[in-house]
Amino acid sequence: MQERVRRMNLKLRHLLIVAGFLLLAPAALAAELRIVTEEGLVRKDRRFFAPVVTRVPYGELIRDDSRRGDWFRVRYQGIQGWIHKSQVTERKYRATLTGPAPEATRDEVALAGKGFTPDVERSYRGQNPRPGYEAVARVEAYRVSDEALQSFIRSGKLQVRGGEP
Amino acid sequence: MMKKITPAFAVLILSFVLLWVCAEATPAAKPAGEPVQSGTQGGSAGQAGKQDPFEIFGRVVRQLESAARPMTEKEEYYVGRAVAAQILERYRVVQDSRIMEYVNLVGNAMALASDVPYTYGGYHFAVLDTSEVNAFSCPGGIVFVTRGMLSRAGNEEELAAILAHEIAHVNNRDGIQAIQQSRWVEVVSMLGGEAVKGKEGINKLTLLFEGSVNDVVRTLIVNGYSQDQERAADASALNFLNRAGYDPIGLADYLERLSREQGAGNRGGFFSTHPGMSERLGLVRSAIASNGWKRIDHRIRDRRFGQYMK
Repeated sequence: MQERVRRMNLKLRHLLIVAGFLLLAPAALAAELRIVTEEGLVRKDRRFFAPVVTRVPYGELIRDDSRRGDWFRVRYQGIQGWIHKSQVTERKYRATLTGPAPEATRDEVALAGKGFTPDVERSYRGQNPRPGYEAVARVEAYRVSDEALQSFIRSGKLQVRGGEP
Repeated sequence: MMKKITPAFAVLILSFVLLWVCAEATPAAKPAGEPVQSGTQGGSAGQAGKQDPFEIFGRVVRQLESAARPMTEKEEYYVGRAVAAQILERYRVVQDSRIMEYVNLVGNAMALASDVPYTYGGYHFAVLDTSEVNAFSCPGGIVFVTRGMLSRAGNEEELAAILAHEIAHVNNRDGIQAIQQSRWVEVVSMLGGEAVKGKEGINKLTLLFEGSVNDVVRTLIVNGYSQDQERAADASALNFLNRAGYDPIGLADYLERLSREQGAGNRGGFFSTHPGMSERLGLVRSAIASNGWKRIDHRIRDRRFGQYMK
């Protein structure tokens, strides 16, 4: 009986080791982030209206040095700054099972590039004349600058997320 | 020693075998009429006959992962643009640069205070030229408010509340949730295989895209979001307003006005896609009470509301 319990414990320990390995292996690769917005804005400080030090195109990988709250301290082409968490993804794919991380992440891009792509939109617009797209383009072209928005927030005695002026 | 590593090894071997069996059982997703071997991808993989088990293993892992893949921010953006295009075929945008500026300033201030301040294509706001009372949040961040809805806002707090609620739907990806699950399953199952290549692949994806867009439009215009989604959006909106320094009671004030109209028999449009306004109002009031929020002085913003809206 005691021998059985000992064997069970041993089995359990091995299972835990395997589970731990599978769980922890991707975490070891958490040093890269991918831009998920049309353009990633890397700012001088971790504030919404801090000056933009560099702009990173969609899909690019940036190095993640550390995280503080909603901001990541990152490095891209030698330039260091802060990027908001909603502009990047930490999603990690299989690196331990089918090869090294860079290859795996390229696969991710390939997969993402195969779904609802600009080609699909073009084909959709080709098959269904959609005059509404022109009006959408005008709505999208309207942008408020950082300066205008910051001044609007200040003059209305508002704030950005409790604290940041 | 051998005995010690056996259980761990067995788990790995078992999962390997299981995946191999899956690989053999998975129908090769190839477009009809295309030769079995595409030859361009994956190098040595797939010569008819013997296959490298590691290749199969890799492919199965890729298929499993792609099947689990959510819609990316960029894909959501394309769906949202198409949804917005359909809405703008039904309604014209109010061409008033002051109003455009104002809703975009208030909207973007709210977006920064939201849970997802940045989306793929950013947040954009516009007013639709109709007396109907309604608002539409397209996936990805294009938000429309009707002239009728705007005219019922009594101050900037209430305008911010309307936009915060719509931004919450964008944050929660409620539009995307309206897409039939089966369509997305079909999209991702295509991606795992080879069927996506060529004109036929694009045509199939185009049909799935069109179906997805129509699902969202139907939900926005005809069915409305679920009561749960509306309640969640109200709860988020209160937080966004509070974070930004707006008076969260603005949401209660606005809902109260609409609730009175609904009670007075106003039906159609917003009132049909948003039943139960008084229940929502009750929940919003109790959330305000439990957070201990009191009315705040917003005269400085009331003044500019008057200037922008005159």
